[in-house]
Amino acid sequence: MSTADTLLDVRGLRVDIPTPNGMLHAVRGIDFDLKRGETLCLVGESGCGKSLTAMALMGLLPRKALRTADRLEFQGNDILSLPEKAFNRLRGNRMAMIFQEPMTSLNPALTIGQQLVDVHRQHRNVSTKEARERALFLFEKIGVSAPVERLKQYPHELSGGLRQRMMIAMALMCGPQLLLADEPTTALDVTIQAELLRVLRNLQEEFGMGMILITHDLGVVSRMADKVAVMYAGEIVERGDVYQVFNRPSHPYTRGLLECLPIPGRHKHMAHLPSIPGVVPSLIGDLTGCAFRERCQYAEDRCGEADIDWRQLPDGQGYQCILPASSDGVASEVSR
Amino acid sequence: MYRYILRRSVSGLLLILAVSLATFFLMFAGGDPATRMAGESGSVADIIRIREAYGFDRPIIMQYLSWLGGFLTGDLGRSLYFDLPVSSILVERMFTTMRLGACAILLAVAIGVPLGVAAGCHPNTKIDRFALLFAVVGQAMPTFWFALLLVIAFSVTFPILPSSGLDSWKHYIMPMVVLSYFAAPAIMRLTRSGMIGVLDTDYIRTARAMGIVPRKVLMKYALRNALIPVVSLAAAQFGYMLAGSVVVESVFAIHGAGRLAWESILRSDLPVIQALVLCFSLFYIVLTFLADVVNAWLDPRMRIS
Repeated sequence: MSTADTLLDVRGLRVDIPTPNGMLHAVRGIDFDLKRGETLCLVGESGCGKSLTAMALMGLLPRKALRTADRLEFQGNDILSLPEKAFNRLRGNRMAMIFQEPMTSLNPALTIGQQLVDVHRQHRNVSTKEARERALFLFEKIGVSAPVERLKQYPHELSGGLRQRMMIAMALMCGPQLLLADEPTTALDVTIQAELLRVLRNLQEEFGMGMILITHDLGVVSRMADKVAVMYAGEIVERGDVYQVFNRPSHPYTRGLLECLPIPGRHKHMAHLPSIPGVVPSLIGDLTGCAFRERCQYAEDRCGEADIDWRQLPDGQGYQCILPASSDGVASEVSR
Repeated sequence: MYRYILRRSVSGLLLILAVSLATFFLMFAGGDPATRMAGESGSVADIIRIREAYGFDRPIIMQYLSWLGGFLTGDLGRSLYFDLPVSSILVERMFTTMRLGACAILLAVAIGVPLGVAAGCHPNTKIDRFALLFAVVGQAMPTFWFALLLVIAFSVTFPILPSSGLDSWKHYIMPMVVLSYFAAPAIMRLTRSGMIGVLDTDYIRTARAMGIVPRKVLMKYALRNALIPVVSLAAAQFGYMLAGSVVVESVFAIHGAGRLAWESILRSDLPVIQALVLCFSLFYIVLTFLADVVNAWLDPRMRIS
């Protein structure tokens, strides 16, 4: 399975958080891998464990959260048992992360320049001048106006879009092989969203980075992803090439998500948009069977009796459901 | 930054003017000063003579301006009790109290901030519980009682420290400890809660995600933001220490400004009270000004408001 091109290899990743009401199984044994230069989109609704998955990969989980896995390898090296000091040398260096909230993710008391220079000098033996040159080089790639002045400015002097560009620059200071982006454009307005996604895409191609993009926006997925993993209640329920998953969604949850996308022509103007009925089950304690069955229109008795086997299709797509793989175009059938 | 300092100085000067006006009218708070100074046995002729001698017969605004002018040139009037220029009594007393206060606030910060950082970084651990105990004891114990306990312990039982006066550095130790133990708990608590709040922010998560070493995250990325409210608190407490040092100065028989203020109030020595109030206010205004400048340096967002 793992080849020289494999950047990240994750098997059976679990994140458990002790709560007063019992153990909360936030991420329930997920598998995926990522090749160099590839973009994987983690999709799912709030609380499905996609952000915690990213934090687990970065080793940045809350102190009381427990991370376990059968295998967790970055560039062929085990990072599961990596001591904190050694892990810290990877962070911001070979793997970096950008966050959802550009307004609060930069330090208000330090200039942009100080923060960018600190990151570079933390991992590379360079002078302040060289670090600033690296920042200006990235600003040009990212499309930052008045780059020299930006270094002297404080975060509160910049707009949300510019702050997110600064976050991207900070993450790329050391030229990481892996970039994790947790809803990087959610807090921004649509025109800036599109522009930033284009910037990310270009940078990824230019630097050959692997990217994990966390989003709940299927529009973003269609524009950015090579591969998609759909998460529900802490599990990956469907995974595959973006074209396969969009054309042949086989898990009822994936189909439901695609149904909820408003498409002019398919949905009447001002009509109620379809939604998936019901709520996500509690993640505290053990779950037997399919976590989606309460909300699934195809649910049968056996869905709740035992854990559902993973169905791997020959072309790489896989899903966790008792239903047979749908043929192309089934999504439009379901909509009727 | 310089524009902020300039703007802040102008508002500080205006405040000083307002305080001087209020202080000046203190003179008339107890009725006609000439009548009061003449005493119960004073005749009408005495009152008129006093009125002319002290210039109470001039228009109020002229009296204020000449009083303010005198203050600016170091002439604070004459003490009614000592019959000496107020400045000759005041300056030394003020310096004594300020020196003691400065030592105490430095000690309070030196203890409160590191303890608060340690507690804030490890909430609900042994170090946190110890810090909390330290704070509760410090805040609950009356200052005079703690001072007396120290005297009993280190001057009586183990006579290693002098119990009164301020003649050598040894004399400073006990009053300094008492005053700083009064101020350190609040500083510790504010540092602790600031640290806990800041360590939970998105920008600290960012710094960690960028692999900045923990020591640097703490000292450069977190502490700077956590200290902003602590600076204002420390300045306010330093001011409070000057005015509130009466108790400590009484216990340790220190001739400081706090004690002088208390005694002058008992003697109705108005010129001295007036000068003390104005000096304390001035000092307080200067302190808050300095605190604001330090905060503007720590937090660039304050420079615009």
